[in-house]
Amino acid sequence: MHISLKKELKQSHIGKAGIIILVLVITLAILAPFLSRYNPGQQSTASLLSPSGVHWLGTNQIGQDIWSQLLYGARTSLLVGFGVGIFSLILSVLFGISAALVGGLYDKIVMRIVDAFIVIPMVVVVILVAAYIKPDLPVLILLLAVLSWQGGARVIRAQALSLKESGHINASRTFGAGQLYIAWRHIVPDMGPILLVEFIYGVRRAVFMEAGLAFLGIGDPMLVSWGTMMRDAMKFSYLDVWRWWLVPAGVALSLTIIGLTFISHATESVLDPRLRGGAVA
Amino acid sequence: MPRLFLAVLVISLLPALPACNDEETPASSPIKTYTIADSTGDWGYPSPYAHYSRGPGYVRMSFIFETLIWKNATEFVPQLAREWEYNEDDNSYTFRLQENVKWHDGADFTADDVVFTFDYTKDHPFQWVDNSIVESAAALDRYTVILYLNTPYAPFFQDVAGAQPILPRHIWENVTVPEEFLTADAVIGTGPYKLADYSKEHGTYLYEANDGYYLGKPVVREIRFVKISLEMTPAALKEGSVDSASIPAEVVGDLEGAGFTVISAPPSWNGKLTINHQKAPLSSKEFRQALTYAIDREALVQIVLRGHGLAGSPGMIPPTSVWYNPDTPQYVYNPGKAQQLIKGLGYTLENGYFYKDGQPLTLSLIAAADYKDVGQFIAQQLEQAGIEIEFQTLEAKTVDYKVGAWDFDLSIYGHGGLYEPSFLQRYILGEGFNSARYSINDELTQLLNEQLTEMDTDKRKDMVFRIQELYAEDLPALTLYYPISYWAHDGSMPLYYTMDGIAIGVPLTLNRMCFVQ
Amino acid sequence: MTIKRNLITYGIALIIILVLNFILPRIMPGDPLMAIYGDEALVAMTPDLEAHLVERFALDQSLWQQFYAYITAMFQGDLGWSYYYNSSVLQVIFARLPWTLLVVGSSLVLSTLLGIVLGVESGWRRGSKTDRVMLTGLMSLNGFPDFFLGLVLLIVFGVLLGIAPLSGALTPYSGLSGLSFVLDVLKHAALPVAALTIAHLAGGYLLTRNTMITVLKEPFMLTAKAKGLSQNVLKYRHAGRNSLLPVITMTGIWLGRVVTGALFVELVFAYPGVGQLTYQALLSRDYPVIQGIFLIVAISVLIANFAVDLLYPKLDPRVSHAH
Repeated sequence: MHISLKKELKQSHIGKAGIIILVLVITLAILAPFLSRYNPGQQSTASLLSPSGVHWLGTNQIGQDIWSQLLYGARTSLLVGFGVGIFSLILSVLFGISAALVGGLYDKIVMRIVDAFIVIPMVVVVILVAAYIKPDLPVLILLLAVLSWQGGARVIRAQALSLKESGHINASRTFGAGQLYIAWRHIVPDMGPILLVEFIYGVRRAVFMEAGLAFLGIGDPMLVSWGTMMRDAMKFSYLDVWRWWLVPAGVALSLTIIGLTFISHATESVLDPRLRGGAVA
Repeated sequence: MPRLFLAVLVISLLPALPACNDEETPASSPIKTYTIADSTGDWGYPSPYAHYSRGPGYVRMSFIFETLIWKNATEFVPQLAREWEYNEDDNSYTFRLQENVKWHDGADFTADDVVFTFDYTKDHPFQWVDNSIVESAAALDRYTVILYLNTPYAPFFQDVAGAQPILPRHIWENVTVPEEFLTADAVIGTGPYKLADYSKEHGTYLYEANDGYYLGKPVVREIRFVKISLEMTPAALKEGSVDSASIPAEVVGDLEGAGFTVISAPPSWNGKLTINHQKAPLSSKEFRQALTYAIDREALVQIVLRGHGLAGSPGMIPPTSVWYNPDTPQYVYNPGKAQQLIKGLGYTLENGYFYKDGQPLTLSLIAAADYKDVGQFIAQQLEQAGIEIEFQTLEAKTVDYKVGAWDFDLSIYGHGGLYEPSFLQRYILGEGFNSARYSINDELTQLLNEQLTEMDTDKRKDMVFRIQELYAEDLPALTLYYPISYWAHDGSMPLYYTMDGIAIGVPLTLNRMCFVQ
Repeated sequence: MTIKRNLITYGIALIIILVLNFILPRIMPGDPLMAIYGDEALVAMTPDLEAHLVERFALDQSLWQQFYAYITAMFQGDLGWSYYYNSSVLQVIFARLPWTLLVVGSSLVLSTLLGIVLGVESGWRRGSKTDRVMLTGLMSLNGFPDFFLGLVLLIVFGVLLGIAPLSGALTPYSGLSGLSFVLDVLKHAALPVAALTIAHLAGGYLLTRNTMITVLKEPFMLTAKAKGLSQNVLKYRHAGRNSLLPVITMTGIWLGRVVTGALFVELVFAYPGVGQLTYQALLSRDYPVIQGIFLIVAISVLIANFAVDLLYPKLDPRVSHAH
């Protein structure tokens, strides 16, 4: 009955690769101040330099050290990614479980709204809102979370509905357990693996969106972000600098997303058991 | 032998003939197509009421529509008017017009069209020209016009006669909503080029030569404007798909080495620190002077502009201008002096920051995302001087709005037009958010208004010099830097920068007359 | 889901979009007039001209009046007049729509077809080395954002090698026609389509592969194998066809996003599509154009989804019988 997430991940090469990548990125992000000599925001006259012993990836157009920016950019991506992932998950759980347990008109209304949001293309709405509200970090996380919890809510609700009728929950109900107690002590823990999977999806989406917004120039320009780095590098694509400015930022972003993709692939069988069965991939 | 001698004599005299620029006259054999790249592409339909309100929009229209007088690299030159004289007694300009000019549809151009234009623009103001200074226009005969002005107006040629496109009466007299007039008739002008095609979504323009042009058959048969982003223009120039374009500063050497001619315009644009002088402590001019001493404008140019610019002069007018007052106080970077001035206002320095009555000296600095680098630089400098700065980037229009509503401390902004001193009045006394809106210095205010009506150039110069002194002392806003931009071309056309910009001050090399010789 | 449920859902979605669309731009402080004439404009804005413009754009009417006008005009097919482009919004959008459809449509077809074929082959060989290589490879490709791919392609093929055009959808005023014109357009569309195709290949691939895996376990496959049918027939006619359903659903959803799906790519390649228009309109705060685009997006999404909902039961009889 219970699919062990750990077992799934352990058996999957891809999943393991994903975890390694993610851990690497997280480590670099955490150790950023120790691994870089310069403050990423420090301007100087040493602009557009090629890589050297002093500046491992050279400098950008206002003399900032690109290697430092790369490392601190990881922080931004991970912060936004995990922040949105958590917040979005909380909303999904709240609405998904409550809809399943309460049922009736409330369920109908919530699900109609959820479906409506799923149909609306998120990219476009996020860009619209971000262009006018010009979000700083907390507002950005809030905005992305509010626009991405709907998919998870559907899945969680479906799962909660089936769990609702399961043996041990029925049993606790006969013992007089209230809705809230059942939700908190039984349903949520049973959904552990599913919650994690939804969480990873959320993180991945958010990392992409943050970089995309920064690339468009409508994120928070004060944040060091891979998207901003790519945007600035693009303006100098007629020089050689793109090799050590654009490419590292793009590769770092892609690697992070790939890592998350690998992890979520390995855990997909949790959502759809039909995918199991001697999975080596 | 004598014939040979004569030929040599004639040939050696050729360089003395007026040319499009002061260098050698290039071959004036016709050029089939000349391609110009632009990063925005679409600047609107090139009709006076349809083009977008920025410089390049006006320039697109200026290939088709002409003005009474025009400019080349060094002076005002005749255009639709071949002669003119000013009558001091009744404040009027008499223009004697060219007599063999035809509109692109074959109709004759006469004084009627000029009179009509100045009447029409009373009800339908042309976005770029404030014709309110013209009280009335009258045709003396078929080819002579008199324009009566309300008051003497020094920048009349730059701002009005050299900028107002003349409209054909027989077409525009029936147009009641000019902004929606977008048919082929809306681009009938007298100019050397006709519009052959315009594509909004591709951002392209195609002009074909008007062979009946009264000043001679245009050398370039076709002019094409194509849309290419700034970072792609070096590659486009090198592969030959584009003949001429604005280029990023970093490739100047590279393109010159590849055989291109690179030119740059005298600065006409400044980045400014806008100051809320209605709010303490910014309301005290000593404090504003302290800010000026605390910001190293030379270093700003080195870091943020990578050296491609000039440090701002506190008198606003750039040092390359003939109107520049060399004695304008420059406030050379001196953080010590800055701190001294602030202390004189009752602040004390503790742990590197200023305090007064237990409160730290904190100012907010807002700017649009484009000015992020400048903003960070300024914030750093002021913090080093002991002022705590909260720097925030906001959406551009929000910044404009807040500044307009006096809901700010410091802000970074920029504007162009720094050629004709009439801009001083607009950007110091004007009411928009991009003006300093500073009118409490009576001498300054008086001079700013008087210099507009002072027709004697020397006297006007004295006034403008004094204005810079006063402005640099009061510093209601601080000019930080003048960026320098570059234009590259393949040398086939003798491009130049028009004196004081095209029309009211557009710093582009696209003067229509260059393509005619 | 029943048709009625769908309609209600779509109705709600439409309302949300319309209200959001209308309210958001107006929440921000700022005068639309300044949005056009601020910044570098060398304008002698007289009070007369300003009053004239305010009247023209009806900026002094109340929000409710503006909203009412907006809704009624919409039902008449009038999406308003763009401040910046000085032309009707419908015209502005429709001039660019074909270019977006060209690029997004081509990449959609290519990536779906390719994805399906690769997915079928991969699912068939599940667990083998080929499968693992394809899986890892495609998932990695999926991690690259389309704007990064686009930029690298542009720099390598456009700037360094000089074999791809540097911007635009065609060579302006080249005088080309017929076949050479078509080739010119294709040349300009090649890189954007390539970037989009590569970036979205994995979607169809993974879905097909997953469905293939589950379908292969179905009893009817065993029967087919026992019948002695050839590999290809088994793969495509039996398993593959049944794996198509989720992909069709996904394509349906993607169709709805066609209009803005290429936003980043259009930006990178300066391709004159609706995506680039959206970005420009956002920058210049051209409210009518922004509203118009979102409306068209909303409607196309809803229509696409509705079409898929209608199509699904026909493709999979199990669904209609279940109700």
